[in-house]
Amino acid sequence: MTLTIDRRHFLGGLLGGAAAIGLSACGAPALRLPEKAATGVARAGATMRIARPAANAAETLDPASSLSAYEYLGAVYNRLVKLDRDGETVPDLATEWSSNADATTWDFALQPGVRFHDGRVLTARDVRYTYGHILDPDTASPQAGALDQIDEIEAVDTTTVRFRLTTPNAEFPSLLTAYQCYIIPEDSAAEIGRTGVGTGPFVLESFTPAGAGAVRANEDYFGGRATLDRIEFYSIQDTSARVNALLARQVDLLSQTNLDNPTARVVANSPGTTVARVENAQWYTIPMLATSDEFADPTMRQAMKLAYDPRAILSTALQGTGTPGWDNPVPPQLKAWMDEEREHDPEKARGLLKTIGREDFSTRIYTSAYEPNFTAIATAFASQVSRAGIDLQITNTSADSYYTQIWMAEPLMVSYWFTGRPIDQLLNQIFRTGSSYNESAWSNAQFDQLLDSARADTNDGSRLQKYQDAQRLIVEDSADLTPVFGDRLVGLSEDVVNYDEYGFEFDYLALGLRED
Amino acid sequence: MVRLIGIRLGTGLITLFLAAFFVFFAVQALPGDVAEQLLGQNATPEAVETLREQLGLDSNVWARFVEWLGNAVTGDFGDSLVTGEPVSSTIWASFARTLLIAIPAMVVGIALALLLGVWAAARRGSRTDSTVSVLALVAMSIPEFVVATVLVLLLAILVPVFPATVLSGPDASLGELLPAAVLPALTLVISMTAYILRAMRSSTIDGLATEYATTAALKGVPRRAVLWRHVAPTAVLPVLPVISINVAWLLGGVVVVESVFNYPGLGKLMIDSVSTRDLPVLQAIAVLSALVYVTANLVADLLALAADPRQRTLHQPRGRRRTAEVVR
Repeated sequence: MTLTIDRRHFLGGLLGGAAAIGLSACGAPALRLPEKAATGVARAGATMRIARPAANAAETLDPASSLSAYEYLGAVYNRLVKLDRDGETVPDLATEWSSNADATTWDFALQPGVRFHDGRVLTARDVRYTYGHILDPDTASPQAGALDQIDEIEAVDTTTVRFRLTTPNAEFPSLLTAYQCYIIPEDSAAEIGRTGVGTGPFVLESFTPAGAGAVRANEDYFGGRATLDRIEFYSIQDTSARVNALLARQVDLLSQTNLDNPTARVVANSPGTTVARVENAQWYTIPMLATSDEFADPTMRQAMKLAYDPRAILSTALQGTGTPGWDNPVPPQLKAWMDEEREHDPEKARGLLKTIGREDFSTRIYTSAYEPNFTAIATAFASQVSRAGIDLQITNTSADSYYTQIWMAEPLMVSYWFTGRPIDQLLNQIFRTGSSYNESAWSNAQFDQLLDSARADTNDGSRLQKYQDAQRLIVEDSADLTPVFGDRLVGLSEDVVNYDEYGFEFDYLALGLRED
Repeated sequence: MVRLIGIRLGTGLITLFLAAFFVFFAVQALPGDVAEQLLGQNATPEAVETLREQLGLDSNVWARFVEWLGNAVTGDFGDSLVTGEPVSSTIWASFARTLLIAIPAMVVGIALALLLGVWAAARRGSRTDSTVSVLALVAMSIPEFVVATVLVLLLAILVPVFPATVLSGPDASLGELLPAAVLPALTLVISMTAYILRAMRSSTIDGLATEYATTAALKGVPRRAVLWRHVAPTAVLPVLPVISINVAWLLGGVVVVESVFNYPGLGKLMIDSVSTRDLPVLQAIAVLSALVYVTANLVADLLALAADPRQRTLHQPRGRRRTAEVVR
């Protein structure tokens, strides 16, 4: 690259595109992107346009559903509690909460005087109704499994709601931060999917499944009025069409879109658009199916771990935009994160393979275009483990059936999750024996027991210790590799200020467009 | 002639049935059903079971096909499994939007291709001819999604004259659709013109070499009149099938082009329905596309019959044709 910055800016997208193609062909230098989204004073009365990939035409505004339209939820609803940037549970509709001595009964005090968009006052009965709706088997909510320890919900008075649990859980409030747990008005389940009546910072104006929709600022929002006047949401299914809409300045922000590296370069180098990073937002995993012949043996799994260096995967597959995982699924931003690097020793891995008679182990690793970095991660991983004599054939499959046919079916594949789960839910949902999201089918009685005793432990210090021991156990024995946490590369207009996204929610109050 | 049309309509009906049949079972063969595809990573066994129940998915494939066929014959294509909306209205709305880009593309593309084809043939071997031919070859070799991307880059991003995508999807008003239809239509023109142009060029060159063209020229008919009055009309005949295939391709909604422009036409509806395994919608699209192909071919044949007396005699019942020869 001999071009100067100015000329590159001047020539815009065309050159950006050409440069990206040229660079990716001959080994690109590290991707340079702004660390954080721009902050600053936003202008009053602005309308922001957000392009989103609609899951499908069956999507709904019912937060409990697995087909919910993610971007709308945080705008129109509130939860009882939410997560802050460090993964700590903080107030949303509930102002404070407390439990009895053994953490089997939890009381939440609601913010008084909060109104739904239709004018009704929020009471404990709405909260009770919402959780009843989530736990209703007909709703088939993805969060129902995590909340099945709720035995009974009681509206003690208008602003106090009481949860009785079947087992002690000192981390219970954190389970209520899931994005299925937005509070809806009593008796609204039948029409909430279209009306979107909540307590949130924005009021729904219109919504078409897999189409366009809009929300306008809630003037009476209990947390203060939002900066923007309106947000328009547009569904653009095809990723390159979504990027084109941004480059042509038809929209200001692309949500749920992790740009691949060449595209991120084009967006960053085009006039008027830029890229913001959401740190460690993509949790990449390589599940080794513990029930398969290939990976049932813990020694085999240990060899797979020893054989590769996550730092190499970070630098080649993600060009450094993220953090090495070292097979610990807990993202570094969580307080409970255990900061230990496991051993990396391909020769030792080779030795282990010899002891179990698998010197020339060979299998397929599945990948797809479902997420832009899957294939790059699979390639980098295969080249790493080859140093221990492991031969992996990269097998690309169709994106649209990747999660129905390959995931939890083939012995080795690349997968990912969004980070944002609180520690207790993360470990219980993805790693506990028999959980429907346990993608590696790993089962370890000691681990399950550790999670139970952590839940029953009301002492914050020793509970944290137990969650860290659980992480250690995952690093040693689990069948789910965590090579890297990737930064999500979000394409947005240079006019956007104060963009932030954490705990499965945009910061909708601060989000705005720059003053002219 | 009537018999010919009858036979054509009959084979057309069989084609329609076969298209519906094969699409039905091809979709069945795809991995995953509607419930699994919708839920994706959330497809826990309980959730899939609940959704299947809610969607009323019957497990018997044959029974479903027979039931579908019975309803389709009466014009009832059922409801979408994903949205619950009637399939017919969804499809017609998308088809109408596809027509909005297909018809202008067709009119401009065919006219341009025929004129350029004759023009290039008349100047065979000249610089104009080679320029036109090379451009046509280039347009043929570049896939339409690349053409689309380049057009977006030039006319929506660098010089923002037209919108890059349709933002409002199926809710888009005509006011939003019209400017947004220009780039997709232009892409289609570029992609289809080349094929027709090359066919027309070689057919005209053949025509210019015929005896009647030479005779006309020897009689002193001006070259321009020989070309446009005698050669061009006949030269169109062999090009008609090429045109009809391109027309059918356009009317079926070009998936890649509609995706790149987020254009809510038939092609985009099809790709969305494939990814969710929305069988009733896919079936109806298959029948509609087959119908378009059958009709386009039939129209091309009829036009050929109308324009070419030789073909009319060719299709006469055998006995009469023989007598005609005897009389001559």
